[in-house]
Amino acid sequence: MERHLILEDGTVFSGQGFGAPATTFGEIIFDTATSGYQETITNPIYDGQMIVFAMPVVGADGIHAEAYESINPKIRGMIVHDLAEVSTNRQRRMNLDRFLKQHNIPGLYQVDTRKLIRHLRETGSQKATIVDVVDDHARDQLQATVLTNKQVQNTATTKAYSNPGRGFHIVVIDFGLKNGILRVLGDYDANVTVLPYTTSVDEVLTLDPDGIILSTGPGNPEDLPESVLTLIRVLQSKVPMLGIGLGHELFALANNSELTTLPAEYHGMNHPIQEIISQEMIYARQGRGYVVDPDALDTKKLFVTHRDMVDNSIQGLRHRDFPAFSVQFFPDGAPGPLEAKRVFADFFETVVDYVQKNN
Amino acid sequence: MVNKIVLDQASMQRALTRITYEILEHNKGGQNLILVGVKTRGEYLAHRIADRLEQLEGVKIPVMAIDISDYRDDRLSNHTKLGLDEDDRVNIIDKNIVLVDDVLFTGRTTRAALDALIQIGRPKTISLAVLIDRGHRELPIRADFVGKNIPTAQNEKIQVRVKEIDDVDEVEIVH
Repeated sequence: MERHLILEDGTVFSGQGFGAPATTFGEIIFDTATSGYQETITNPIYDGQMIVFAMPVVGADGIHAEAYESINPKIRGMIVHDLAEVSTNRQRRMNLDRFLKQHNIPGLYQVDTRKLIRHLRETGSQKATIVDVVDDHARDQLQATVLTNKQVQNTATTKAYSNPGRGFHIVVIDFGLKNGILRVLGDYDANVTVLPYTTSVDEVLTLDPDGIILSTGPGNPEDLPESVLTLIRVLQSKVPMLGIGLGHELFALANNSELTTLPAEYHGMNHPIQEIISQEMIYARQGRGYVVDPDALDTKKLFVTHRDMVDNSIQGLRHRDFPAFSVQFFPDGAPGPLEAKRVFADFFETVVDYVQKNN
Repeated sequence: MVNKIVLDQASMQRALTRITYEILEHNKGGQNLILVGVKTRGEYLAHRIADRLEQLEGVKIPVMAIDISDYRDDRLSNHTKLGLDEDDRVNIIDKNIVLVDDVLFTGRTTRAALDALIQIGRPKTISLAVLIDRGHRELPIRADFVGKNIPTAQNEKIQVRVKEIDDVDEVEIVH
């Protein structure tokens, strides 16, 4: 059935509906990666967003049990050029269409995604809606829609839980954690405790962690309460810390630095990233709507460790006084190149060092 | 007996990177810092750390090489031969020195290096960075910055190889 995408600026793109037949509203962004659509649509960082895929054909891999980044996808819509129908009989895999129907998420295919992405590059991320009929009512509804800024509350855990292991005790502060982080911590047999971001400093320290991870998450970091920044400021001075994605942005804010909003969000994995100290180049999955402002970086507290070689944005920071560091990109490789996992190796080596010096 | 690579090139690079970050953390942006490499391989490692510091901070940290052969405690000597080359001798008085060596074992080499250093001046601080700490200390010495702790047996040998003279970066346990 023909359905339509209306953008906030009034532009209409038409295509065929798949997934749920629902009407949906969300912030529209685009993803230039050529693999990992399941990980992407289940990544909690996309809470409340509609994703346009640059990959010409999406859905050919079906849906796998091992490629979820969260239990329930939070995206509001999926726009693709062509949809591959996968037999659900083959290896008993579920297909994308059925998956989206189950989660009441609408999709649109046979859309000129090249034109749509060029348009979004020029006009930026904006509100959008997927509807059956383009009329004044649909346009009014879109204009009247106020998008939430409570994405972290929507996705992060409100209760502490354990993901036990026999190794180091790692506390993860959850801002909308993706599974990939827990998966890699599992590779290190870490004994993980995931805590809500509202946890107090005392509650964290009572658990006697060997290391702390500030998780990835959705939304604007400046919408989070000041208490989060205080938490980071105290913990970074006591225990090794790694911030990822939103966690990296919060780490910067906690250390007297500022962010800028990107005109068009970047989601993809084709930007080379340089580790400055070794001059080595790595690739990693990125998903960012904000970057640390190089002119508002407090260089007395932080220094830059990684840079994006395409747009020169800051991709990594490290504290001058404490074993605390952060990366803007996603080093867990789900989806994305595995070479970025070395960030976790660095973190665990720092943890080993900390534990040895404090025993 | 089978020899075993315990650190390959990538992990050796990463270990040096982490040591560099830690040195920065403890020396406030490399102010007043001097790196002193214990000959032979410590010297190359010290240069690697200095290169990393330069990439990060854009400052050239002085590197010196120290020869401890005349300060060993298993040979009689009146320390006539100074441990530092005349050419690259920098004023170490009131400086923060990071002594760099490849392997920390009994601690006797470090002791000798400390003596050699103190004979030429009184630094503000001396700290110790080693790529490998293999245990079995015979003196009260401990490293401030360790690339990797590798528990070993007394009779094993740790062979550190560096690209500059060995054509390859790796650490091997030799039985």
